[in-house]
Amino acid sequence: MKIFLKNPLALSGLIIILTILILALVAPIIAPYDPNFIDINSILFPPSINHLMGTDGLGRDVFSRMLYGAQISLLVGFVAVGIATFIGVILGSLAGFYRGWVDSLIMRFVDIMLSIPTFFLILAVIAFLTPSIWNIMIVIGLTSWMGVTRLVRAEFFSLRQREYVLAAETMGSNHLSIIIKHLLPNSLTPIIVSSVLGIASAVLVESGLSFLGLGVQAPTASWGNILTDGKEYIQFAWWLSLFPGLAILITVLGYNLLGEGLRDILDPKNKI
Amino acid sequence: MKKNFLFFNFIFILSIFIISCSKDTSEVINYNEEYKNIFGGSLINAMAGEPSNLIAMIAGDSASSAIAGNIFNSLIKYDENLNYAPDLAESWAISNNQKTITFKLKKGLQWADGNPLTSADVLFTWKLITNPDTRTPYASDYQLVKKASAPDPLTFKITYETSYAPALDTWSSLHILPKHILKDEDINNTFFSRKPTGSSYYKLDDWISGQQVSLKANEKSVLGSPLIEKLISRIIPDTSSQFLELTADNIDVMNINPIQYQRVFPARKDLQQKVALYKELGNGYTYLGFNLKKPPFNDIRVRQALNYAIDKDEVIKGVLLGLGESISSPYKPGTRWNNPNLSPYPYNPSKALELLQEAGFKKNNDGILMKNGKPLKFEIITNQNKQREMTAVVIQKRLQEIGVDVSIRVIEWASFVNRFIKTGDFDVVVLGWSLSLDPDQYNIWHSSQQGPGQFNFLGYSNKNVDRLLELGRKELNVSKREEIYHKFSKYLLEDSPIIYLYAGYGLSAVHKRVKGIKNPAPPAGIYHNNYDWFLPKPLRRNEISAR
Repeated sequence: MKIFLKNPLALSGLIIILTILILALVAPIIAPYDPNFIDINSILFPPSINHLMGTDGLGRDVFSRMLYGAQISLLVGFVAVGIATFIGVILGSLAGFYRGWVDSLIMRFVDIMLSIPTFFLILAVIAFLTPSIWNIMIVIGLTSWMGVTRLVRAEFFSLRQREYVLAAETMGSNHLSIIIKHLLPNSLTPIIVSSVLGIASAVLVESGLSFLGLGVQAPTASWGNILTDGKEYIQFAWWLSLFPGLAILITVLGYNLLGEGLRDILDPKNKI
Repeated sequence: MKKNFLFFNFIFILSIFIISCSKDTSEVINYNEEYKNIFGGSLINAMAGEPSNLIAMIAGDSASSAIAGNIFNSLIKYDENLNYAPDLAESWAISNNQKTITFKLKKGLQWADGNPLTSADVLFTWKLITNPDTRTPYASDYQLVKKASAPDPLTFKITYETSYAPALDTWSSLHILPKHILKDEDINNTFFSRKPTGSSYYKLDDWISGQQVSLKANEKSVLGSPLIEKLISRIIPDTSSQFLELTADNIDVMNINPIQYQRVFPARKDLQQKVALYKELGNGYTYLGFNLKKPPFNDIRVRQALNYAIDKDEVIKGVLLGLGESISSPYKPGTRWNNPNLSPYPYNPSKALELLQEAGFKKNNDGILMKNGKPLKFEIITNQNKQREMTAVVIQKRLQEIGVDVSIRVIEWASFVNRFIKTGDFDVVVLGWSLSLDPDQYNIWHSSQQGPGQFNFLGYSNKNVDRLLELGRKELNVSKREEIYHKFSKYLLEDSPIIYLYAGYGLSAVHKRVKGIKNPAPPAGIYHNNYDWFLPKPLRRNEISAR
């Protein structure tokens, strides 16, 4: 914790993320309205005491929708990155540990995946499947594991030659336990950092998909959805574009600050 | 020193220039004075999509037909009160057995290139649209003509197998094309679709792809000269950008949405001064349609129950901000085809529950309606249209209240049609119909029209309705026809294969420099007499900045 205090960037990132996390978790308690409550007598009201962030085209309270939207955005970020990290760690470990043709095979696959523009791949897949929050998380996860794979592989390449690994191997430990007990714990730092940064991009992709109408389906609130709704009224109802836009900006910034900060903190070379 | 002097001189002149400019623009122009109608000027309107093809029978999109309508003529047209009026034909006569129509063309008609326009062109156009090689969705109406002939250059004669009531309507929408240009062309793929030669008030001047299509007055038009010299249609896909262009005075005409009409305009004094708003009921409606081949929608009680459970007034108030009307027959309210004795299903959730219980549904502990262990659950699909999506959300809320589990899915138009409508793989749709002026709706409701790609994709089938639709096509007596379609509407409302949601108002914003617009709008709409519109000289836009 002390190290965190010494690194103001990481600290501010952590504070931002924790705040948003807490707001999302207590959304059902603090939201003043049901996020899907339609009130045709209060359509497009500007921000006021009753509606902190105004109302949208169907008279729904934007503040409540923003809080529930935070749940979606964070959930998508965590689950998608969870999937990506899981796949990335397994494939990276295999490639880094066994090398040879296993490595070649996996890395060529990584190269192929990297050569496809991810966002368009996701768009194509979602257009084919039903757009739902679970599909989106899975698809984002399945298309963003390549970075982790490369990191883990590179880390394994250098660790593989260390004496303690050789020692474990000579003493007859099986491969699985060497990977889990000795190699993975020592390559955790880059995995954590890249995961945190990955969450930021997953949040962005989800917002982008929802903005294009291929994300979370109505009436579920997500920041991207609110932003699309606001697009039509942008000259008139600025609050519909400003608040979700700011929320996305701040969240992504938070994750990036945290990720960068963690890298500095966890990097042993920085401890002189 | 001399340099400095020049510099100050320059600043001085510049500041005078700026002052005089700002003075100029701050001067209030009075748009309400009486002005003389002098020929000239350019009218700029905005359209969301680029025309695909200026041959209307091939194109089929609204942008194309809007432009082509200014270039081509039909034999007859509708006047402002929606009665038939001469266009290229001076007169027409229907034979006693009601199967033959003889059109007499006006004398001295000519194409914009100076060639004469005769009945040979009309015959050529009919042959073209009924040719199986022509890729047009409109052929079926004209294939009913058994025999067509052009006995002399001014006479065109057609004979139907049986009497066909919508006949005149179909001839009012067929653009006559020039034989001398197209006789050796492949109509599906010809230069003519981008460089048309017509006969109407305007001819194509310039078409810049992705930017604008401009038309200029056709001096060879025998219908007379329009008062506005140039019609420029700018292609601006996004409605908010269109609106910005309107406020910046870069376009004169655009369609606006209810929010702009009800909220933005009342708050903007500067806009009210220079832009006039028009509101007219369109000839179409938005509905919620059931897939009648799928349970539980094959049960009339379920359909009626859902009809009672939806609050149409709430939809109109919430989605259209009140700028719509609830309807109870598939015709425009206020026209003779609309049955005035019918009224929409009122909002009555307890009646809805009663009907659903009759149909075998019971609420479980979570408040969801169940039948045979299965919940009453379905998906509403609609295309990417904000109004329809919002409508679905309002409906979903109301249906959830009585225990129906509804989800919504918004789908891009091409896959919406190909993957869901043509395959019949859907539960419930929110869609709209735009209708022609003839009351015939055989294509939409007759049980024989259920094939893939045909319009009765809901699978509606009712013997009484089939019979009425067949009768209505043959009956030429207007009051008898009226009776037939009133009965048809009654059956349709009782069966409730669709739930009528609303008929929305078409909302237009037109700059006040445009004069000659009829207000209030006649039944045919404000655009009906656009060749009578004019731009008074003092109010015209600076022609250089317009480009």
